[in-house]
Amino acid sequence: MQESAMMLNTTELLAIPALPLIASLIVGLFGWALKEKISHIITSASVIIAAVLSAHVFMQVLDGASFYGNFWTWMLSDTFVVPVGMMIDRLTAIMMLTVTIVSACVHIYTIGYMHGDPGYSRFFSYISGFTFSMLVLVMGNNFFTLFFGWEAVGLVSYLLIGFWFKRESANFAALKAFIVNRIGDFGFAIGILAIWYYFGTIDYREVFTQVEAFVAQGDVLHFMGWEMSAITFICLALFIGAMGKSGQVPLHVWLPDSMEGPTPISALIHAATMVTAGVFMVARCSPMFEFSETALAAVVLVGAITAWMCATIGLVQNDIKRVIAYSTCSQLGYMFVACGVSAYSAGIFHLMTHAYFKALLFLAAGSVIHAVMADQDIRRMGQLREYMPITYITMLIAALALSGVPPFAGFWSKDLIIEATMVREFTEYGWVGSFGYFAVLTAVFMTAFYTFRMFFLTFHNSDRVPAETKPHVHESPKVITVPLMILAVGAMLAGAWGVMALDIANPEAAAGYFGDSIFVLDAHNPLMILAEESHGHAWYHFVFSAPFWLAIGGIALATLMYLRETAMPASLANALKPIYTFLLNKWYWDELYEKAVMRPAQWLGNWLWQKGDLGMIDKGMIHGGIVDSVKAGAVRMREMQTGMVFHYAFAMVIGVFGFLTYLLLKA
Amino acid sequence: MANVTFPFPFPEHLLALLPEMIVAVLAMALLLLDLFVPKEKKRMTAYMAALTMMAAGAATLFVMTPETQVAFYGFFVLDHFAVFAKLLICIATLLGIVLSIDYMKDEENIGEYYVLMLFSALGMMLMVSANNFIIMYLGLELMALSTYVLVGYQRDVLRSSEAALKYFILGALSSGMLLYGVTFFYGVSGSFHFVAIAQGIAEAGSSAGTAVLLGLVFVLAGLAFKVSMAPFHMWTPDTYEGAPTPITAFMSVAPKVAGFVIFMRILVDALPGLQHEYTTILIVMAVITMAVGNLAAIAQRNIKRMLAYSTIGHVGFVMLGLIAANADGYAGILVYLSVYLFMNMGVFAIIILMRREGIQGELLDDFAGLSRVRPGYALAMGLFLFSLGGIPFLAGFWAKYVVFIAAIEAGHLYLVLYALLFSAVGAFYYIRVVKYIYFDEERVAFNFVENRMMQATVVVSAIAVVALGIYPDPLIDLCQKALGGLI
Repeated sequence: MQESAMMLNTTELLAIPALPLIASLIVGLFGWALKEKISHIITSASVIIAAVLSAHVFMQVLDGASFYGNFWTWMLSDTFVVPVGMMIDRLTAIMMLTVTIVSACVHIYTIGYMHGDPGYSRFFSYISGFTFSMLVLVMGNNFFTLFFGWEAVGLVSYLLIGFWFKRESANFAALKAFIVNRIGDFGFAIGILAIWYYFGTIDYREVFTQVEAFVAQGDVLHFMGWEMSAITFICLALFIGAMGKSGQVPLHVWLPDSMEGPTPISALIHAATMVTAGVFMVARCSPMFEFSETALAAVVLVGAITAWMCATIGLVQNDIKRVIAYSTCSQLGYMFVACGVSAYSAGIFHLMTHAYFKALLFLAAGSVIHAVMADQDIRRMGQLREYMPITYITMLIAALALSGVPPFAGFWSKDLIIEATMVREFTEYGWVGSFGYFAVLTAVFMTAFYTFRMFFLTFHNSDRVPAETKPHVHESPKVITVPLMILAVGAMLAGAWGVMALDIANPEAAAGYFGDSIFVLDAHNPLMILAEESHGHAWYHFVFSAPFWLAIGGIALATLMYLRETAMPASLANALKPIYTFLLNKWYWDELYEKAVMRPAQWLGNWLWQKGDLGMIDKGMIHGGIVDSVKAGAVRMREMQTGMVFHYAFAMVIGVFGFLTYLLLKA
Repeated sequence: MANVTFPFPFPEHLLALLPEMIVAVLAMALLLLDLFVPKEKKRMTAYMAALTMMAAGAATLFVMTPETQVAFYGFFVLDHFAVFAKLLICIATLLGIVLSIDYMKDEENIGEYYVLMLFSALGMMLMVSANNFIIMYLGLELMALSTYVLVGYQRDVLRSSEAALKYFILGALSSGMLLYGVTFFYGVSGSFHFVAIAQGIAEAGSSAGTAVLLGLVFVLAGLAFKVSMAPFHMWTPDTYEGAPTPITAFMSVAPKVAGFVIFMRILVDALPGLQHEYTTILIVMAVITMAVGNLAAIAQRNIKRMLAYSTIGHVGFVMLGLIAANADGYAGILVYLSVYLFMNMGVFAIIILMRREGIQGELLDDFAGLSRVRPGYALAMGLFLFSLGGIPFLAGFWAKYVVFIAAIEAGHLYLVLYALLFSAVGAFYYIRVVKYIYFDEERVAFNFVENRMMQATVVVSAIAVVALGIYPDPLIDLCQKALGGLI
């Protein structure tokens, strides 16, 4: 692509994050005085305008426009300069478009979903603030703006998971999300500092152009007995941040719990956008990851484990939102696998299609939950298709997309990932490549199965809705169903659009959608191998591919178990009791964390509090030392003030003689 | 000055004294006029005095020129430094008069009170323009003598008379020391002019060592007394407590401005050769001053007494600027004094507004529950106290910041760390008052004076404290420009 053939309009670019920010501030600060209607009009309008502007930017970017520049300096400390600037290229543009469209849909949906909630304005303020933060995250041109956005979305996520702050479980989940993310963010911060340490700058462009020379220089780092190249260290540290934010094993535990937040949030933040920030970051840093096979292998390994493990957990969960949440973890694993095998464009492509169908899945689930009086247990649903046809159809589209059935969106991106995994060979870590392929392939079957298990139990099967909620079951209002329909269009067409119109799979930098916004070494570009192999493949070639049949098989098994032989699930669970319990308890991750981390941390905290704070500081230093001596000093000073003039004069004279003596003796 | 042939100074040199002349002439006119004002209309005198200070301030700006003007054969100098100081003095005196109107309305012969304030201001204005020990002493004594009387103005209040007497006796002692020191300088250099003294000391070299050192210590002692540096500070708490509250407010600001300004001028113009010696003395005094001011304030129950120690503590911080002895340090002193003017005037305005029937000294407990009765006053008081404590982002923070940074630049890191430590101690007793205001229950019924002008003082001060806290750059720039006359 030509170098900045066309510059984008700065005002337009600034307006995109600024509008949601302003809306968020207005509604956040003055929400108490605003009517519900005003609150949602201000915020929704700002985000819709941002979405329109993003679409405009996207079209210009398709024509070859880009933007790179700094607006002002945020911080300056010697050589550490933090500018506030933007870098808009094709990677950024597709993220902006995805974020703003999903956010706009969620804003509209929220009008219906949160109606009457006492925190109505607060909620809108948060989600607009989230949109701003996410846009900063993707639009920034340096690692510090990335970090700012990263932390800001984390904060909003915390606030929204704990939105119903009177619920203890919500507070617990919010804290859990925040603390687990701290671990990741710590790694992330170390990565950024390491970048500054080695490159002397935090600007994307300046760092990325130096990487090749830097790798050739071969800096080696000794870290806790390991020896690794500096670039590997940086990439691994950054990836730890991505693991936290994107819910990858073992930092995935917060994501299912985050479902304590209102459902629109689960759709926007914990499925479509924020949690994908890690994937975006890895793709953005492709010029760095490309030079570290170790880091890439680690990305594949973690992604594959997550994809597979969370899929197994999803098989048996009974909470409708949890099933989808584990599916999110699993799909994020797919995206990381894609990045790890150097098919970054496939990862971002899946990120985009996933954003549409997963947001749709969540919003549809929200619509169901709304209908059955806030019950989330699929064991108490069934036959809902009769009451809510629109929700039923849109959810079906989303389920098909998630399962990877052509021609729905998920098929295109997931298929690309699996094929790329198949052809990519690691020189040093061959087993990682094989394991990755095995994991993503088998997870397809499980994905299809658990998606349709959830779908059938909700909309088909026997009617298990409790009698007292029965009268309330109804189709949701238009304000909820319209966003569902908009997203359904995305879930149907985004995949085909990406492959056919944007040519995402094309590995040639000049021809493919991503152009030079993503950097891949030719030596191991899986898309390039695919492009060579697939010459002459007909449109129906998917019929011969394993993923397609695995997906069909998963759906078929779900059909068998939940539509035909409805007694089978229970007997199967009985027969495989140990495995079933193991999966139902989510591989006992929470218990492990409680034993290995929470208990020791609590003990340490207690110890420091009792011995350190109360014992040493309070008793030893404060009461024994500082406070007493200050008190004594104050009293002494007051006593010296006798009120007698001759004492005062005496002090003056002593002062004069003291100084005189000192000076004369010294002279 | 040998080539001067005129028996009288040039008229344009006289013009440089226009502000002083305005104050002198109007003060004397007011003294006469007051005889004809009936007792119930004595407010008129106060308003006239206030107008006089406004006129003096305006005249100061009017006579200001880009170049330094020298009048009376070099006795009198008018540079930006002096102009800046005079403006601060005019504002402080004006606010002092405003605060007095209601408070002093029942006193006898109240007309003289305002005239004395004007004379005191006149003395200070002369002092900051002095280029010579004689003029400086003239100004200083005019200021001091007027203040002695003002402190004891409430003749029937024992505390007031006692305060005045103590202040007078010790003041006389300090004046004696100052004069005694000046005689040594005169002996060495044969002149009272600051610059000539500097030359004389340089020429005399080590042959006059002892005499110069004697002069230095006695002059420093005399000046230190005026600005309450320990161990010459002991008059401060008693005098502040006993004086009528508006006079306490006035005294805690205006004479400090004049004192520090002339202090800087003497150190820079007359004693540059003794920098090493005076820095040592100043460091020792600063160390004691900060400790005494901030520690003793903790043990006080009376807010005026507490604020007296608070002034001493702040003087200790301001001294860091003198010790730094660089442009940033001196500019920092001007910043500090300007900010301190507003913070302190604001606090005293609220204390005076809270005056109860028959109760004039305010105890700390008296503030309990203020926030429930008068949230506006409580907020303003909170702002002033936080600012005095140096909490960012209020003006007081920047005042401390500039002098601290200047001292670090000059290499006095440990002294600044020490100052920070006492700054933290200081925050305690200021914030304790905030605690009374916001968290304690009302004990005695409040009885407020409703006076628009005093309320305006509070509002203006509060705005200044907040605005300068958020955006201090213009003030810092201004102070750096004002320094042009000094160095």
